[in-house]
Formats: sequence, structure tokens, C-alpha cells
Amino acid sequence: MNSSITAHPVRSSVALPQFDERIFAPDRLQANGVKIVTLLLFAWGALTIPGYTSSANLSAIVYAVAAVGIAAIGMAFVTMSGNLFMLSMGATAAIATILFANVLHIGLLPVVLLVVLGGALLGLLQGVVVGWTGANPIITSIAFSSIITGIGTIWSGGLTIVGHGDASWLSVGRFLGIIPNQLVLFVLIATVAEVVVERTRFGRELRLIGMNRTAASVAGLRIVRTLVIAFIVASAAGALSGALTASQAAQGNLKLGAGLDFDAIAAVLVGGISIKGGRGRIMDAAFGALFLAVVSNILLVKGLAFETQLAVKGLVVMASVITGALLVGARK
Amino acid sequence: MTAALNTSRATAVKRVGSKAMLGRLALLIAICAFFALIAPSFLAPQNIYALLQSFALLGLVTLGLSLTMIAGEFDLSVGSMVAVGGLLTIKIADHGLAFGIGAAVLFGLAVGLINAFICVRLKVASLVVTVGSMMTLSGFAYWLANGEVVSSSDIDTALLIDNPIAVIFSLRSIVTFGAFLLVTLMMNVTRAGRDIIATGSRRDVAAASGVRLGLTLALVFGLSGCMAAFAGSLLSISLVTASATMGTGTMLQAASAALIGGVALSGGRGRPVGVMLGVMILAALNNGLGALGASAATILLSNGLVLLGVVLLDGSLVADLLKRRSTARSSFGAGLPKTANV
Repeated sequence: MNSSITAHPVRSSVALPQFDERIFAPDRLQANGVKIVTLLLFAWGALTIPGYTSSANLSAIVYAVAAVGIAAIGMAFVTMSGNLFMLSMGATAAIATILFANVLHIGLLPVVLLVVLGGALLGLLQGVVVGWTGANPIITSIAFSSIITGIGTIWSGGLTIVGHGDASWLSVGRFLGIIPNQLVLFVLIATVAEVVVERTRFGRELRLIGMNRTAASVAGLRIVRTLVIAFIVASAAGALSGALTASQAAQGNLKLGAGLDFDAIAAVLVGGISIKGGRGRIMDAAFGALFLAVVSNILLVKGLAFETQLAVKGLVVMASVITGALLVGARK
Repeated sequence: MTAALNTSRATAVKRVGSKAMLGRLALLIAICAFFALIAPSFLAPQNIYALLQSFALLGLVTLGLSLTMIAGEFDLSVGSMVAVGGLLTIKIADHGLAFGIGAAVLFGLAVGLINAFICVRLKVASLVVTVGSMMTLSGFAYWLANGEVVSSSDIDTALLIDNPIAVIFSLRSIVTFGAFLLVTLMMNVTRAGRDIIATGSRRDVAAASGVRLGLTLALVFGLSGCMAAFAGSLLSISLVTASATMGTGTMLQAASAALIGGVALSGGRGRPVGVMLGVMILAALNNGLGALGASAATILLSNGLVLLGVVLLDGSLVADLLKRRSTARSSFGAGLPKTANV
């Protein structure tokens, strides 16, 4: 063993992520393609649909992006760590709306902190189960999803909880009177998450574990710790997304979070983050959410029913799974 | 030498297998005894009938799902397929009920084959492909239902398939038992059954020894889609209605039941008789909790806890503790995209 190491001192057993800087390198083709398609769709909408660029419609897009985008950023941590998806995010967001409405009277900032903390706790539990015991992430999070929904239903009695307090800073507040606070929050979180993944030791470990868990383990990376953190981030993001939704009506209802799992997964997949782990960037998920919001908005403005939108969303996800797989094939 | 080793190992596996089956049977009897002691009506013929009715729905779905699990894959789309199957049946039932059931089952088969095709040809992990088809089917179900509860007027057929036979059975539960019998035959007697187990245990070895992987995966996903759609069909006929939210929770329960029944997420392990016991254990648990007055939320909560428990047992924790291996071992269960290694 030792002799072979001295014979090939340069070879590393861990494949380091090497990024092709070309915009349309196979690695980045889908991620950058989606950004361009989003732009084209938006331009097409602005040119052909009257009132598309009105401030009311733009706000609608922003509010649709912010909640889903934050959840998608969290989901991206789980996907990049090689653990596919977290299917308890919708339930986490739903119970977060109940918590939000229940304690809104103590003030907005403490409430948001409490909600994020609660989400982080749920993520900690799932991260420990998945990271430490090696349980299947999807099945584990499905189990947690029904545990959380069950507790939430018992807690709220299946009713809508009306919050008493002022959540207007988060719901309709605008930074400097122009940019919605939700958008500011979303961009801020996306930037911080991107920097953390690209520039810190945790981020590099996350990538390497996602690419090749066995090699990462041999190389002595802190696997359990990294996975637990990824799940905490994801679950906290889901809870924060729930808080954003709840603030709109200052209400909590278990139905409010429904569909967030699908939306976040759709954003991650459409954005071009590889389901095999390790590849992709946090910003890809954010742009995936933007793409979905623009598509949904166009369908809505064109007068298509919510049911049709769901079907289209499913097809978009299926198409991006297939595109992603074909691109992997092209890379080889 | 290898052959001898394999035979002795096979016998050992079989012995452990039947011990585990007895354990499951004992667990089922214990659960029934527990609830019968607290609520004597639990063992009343009407309740046994109700138990077998929920077995009929969950059993078909779980049987299909467990085949994909034995082959080392996972079909997440079964829950949405129940809703689509039911909606298709009711929507087409105007042209004749057989037509409706046929369309639903064919649709299930087609979706299953597409799932298998994407898994095999594009080498995408089945958990990911079926997340996609789960979402697409769910959207399709909402589109079919168009925000309404679709109903039919065919009460006669509803009565026919739910009419008690020999006090505790019905046509639906008998059909489900029949499906279990057929799948047991397939797994034990035919080459397809051996191929499914081989595909799930050591895929590279299976491929090298002539197992047609593509065909095997097409078979399990096709059957899984068919059975989920058929279960949805029967449910909608029996309820005389169908809605987009019909399959909610079915996938969770089916996964739990399969895992309780001894099917491993890592593939290669599991027998239809175990799956049947797993479904009955879960059905008895839910039915018993209901008899004690537990709300739907409590039952959902307990289903989640049960699934978490069996996932923990299925994960490497127990093995790690027993063998004192390092936790860093990369044991993902079905999380690893197995098809990528073909």
C-alpha cells in the first residue's frame, strides 16, 4: 500500500470538483440554459401580454419566488449532499405557519427566529437519523412529514389559526419603499448560502460527500456533521418559507404549506443541480425557482386553471430529470 | 465450493426467513389480541370485514411497491397512481365499467413502463424518476378531477364488489388475496421471480449471469403501476366517487407495510407472504387505533412513527451496533442510484 502511494504521489483518490468555465459546458448547460429561457419567457410575456410588467404582476412574481426560492435553496443543500430530496419540507412549512400565527403577538422578529429555530430542530432530528444511521433520506423524510402533519393537525385542531400582531414588514413591507422585503430576504439568503457553499470548508465537504461518500469517508471528512448541518439548513429554510406564506394573511393553516415539497424539488431539478450529488450551485436552485414562478405566472395570466398548472409543473420536472440524465450521458 | 457455499447460505437465509415470518405472525396476533382485550368489538365479524377491506386497498398497492423494492428500486408514484386510476375508471365508466378498469390498468402499466425505461436507459435513480412521475400524476389527477369530486351512479357494482362473502370476505379482498397468490407463484416458480431477486441483490452479478435487467425492471414497475391503478379503480367503484386526493397517505402506508413485511430498501430481500403480514399488521394497528377513538391525525402520526421505526431498523444502525463497524460506512439503502452501476 505504502509503496503504491510513493509510486504515484500525485494521484488523489478523491475527485475534486473541477468546473469548466465555459458557459455551455455540459456541466453548466442546463443551469445556464434555464436562466436564458427564463429571460426569454419574461421578455415574451412583457411584449405580448398587456399589463405583464405592471407593478401588481411583478409583485405577484416576486412573492411567488421568495417563498419557494428560499425553500429551494435549503433543498439544494440536501440534494448536493447526495441525499436526493427532503420530502418533509411542505409539512415543516405548514406547521411553521401554525407556530407563526400562534405566537405572532410577541413581535415579528422573535416569531421569525422562533420559527426558524423550530425548523432547525426538525432538521436536526432528520439529519441525525439520515447521517448517523444511514437511513434512506426520502423514506425518513416521508415518515417525518406525516409525524409533523399529525402533530400539526392535533395542535391546530385542523383549523385556521388567526394571528394577532403585525406582520406587515414581512408581508407587504418594501425596502426603501421600492423592493419588497421578501425579495431582499431571498436575495440575501441566496447570496449567503452561495458564499458558504463555494468558499467554506463546510461547503467543500458538502460537495465532496455528495460526489463520493465512500471516498469522502476514506479522506476523513466529517460526514455525519456535514449531513446534519445540510438537513438543519434545509428544514430551517422550509420553516422560514412557511413564515413568509403565513405573514401574507397573518394566518396559520396546515394547507398553506402543501405543495412546497414539489415546488422546491422542481426548482432544484429545473435549476440544473445534479441529483447524483456534488454538482451544481446554490444559485441554480434560486434561478430554478424564478423560472417556475415566471412559468406559473404566465399560465395564470393566460387564464389556465390551477389544476393545469400542477400538471405542467409535473411535466417540467419530468423533462428536467430526463434532460439532466441526457446531459450526464453527453458528458461521458 | 462456491456452489456449496451458496446453497448453505441459501438454506440459512430461508431458515432466518421463516423464523422472521413466524415473528411477524406473532406480532399480528399480539396486536389483534391487545386491541381485542381493550375493545371487544375488534374481533366482531363486521370489524374483521372492515379490516380486510382496508387490506384489499393497501395490499394491492403494497404488493406492487414491494416488487420494485425487492428489485432494488422504489416506486414513489403509487400514491398518485391510486388517484389517477380511480378518476380514470369513474370518468370512463359511462362506456362500461370493464372499459374503465381496463383503461386504468393499461394506463398504470404504461406509466410503469415509462418509469422503468427512464431508470434503465437514462440511468436515473428510480427514487428520482418516480418523484417526477408522482408529481406529474398528481397534477394529472387534479386536472382530471378539475377541482371536483367525480361520481358515478353505478351503485349496483359497488354493492357487488363490497358485498360480504362468507361474512368477512368481499370480492375486493378475495381479488387481493388472489393477487398475492399469483405473485407468490411468480416469485417462487418462475424465472422472472428469481431474476427480480437477483436484480435486487447483486445487480452486476445478475447481469453477468444473464439476467435481463431491463426486462426485469420493466416487469416490476409495470406491475407496480398496474396494481396501484387497479387498487384505485376498485376503491373508486366501491366509493362510487373519485377525487384527486384519494391516494393521499397510501404511499406512506405501503412503504411502511412493505418494510414491516421484511422487504429491504437495499433490495434482494422480501417475500409476498411477509408483505401480506406487513399489510395486515399495519391495517390492524390503524383499525385498532380507530376503534379506540383515535383521530385521523393520531393515526397519521402513528403511521409516521411506525415508518420511522422500520426505516431505522432497515438502516445500518442496528448492523453497525452489532458488528461495531464505523458509522462512516457508506450504506445508503436505496438512496444510491443503483442503475448507475450497471
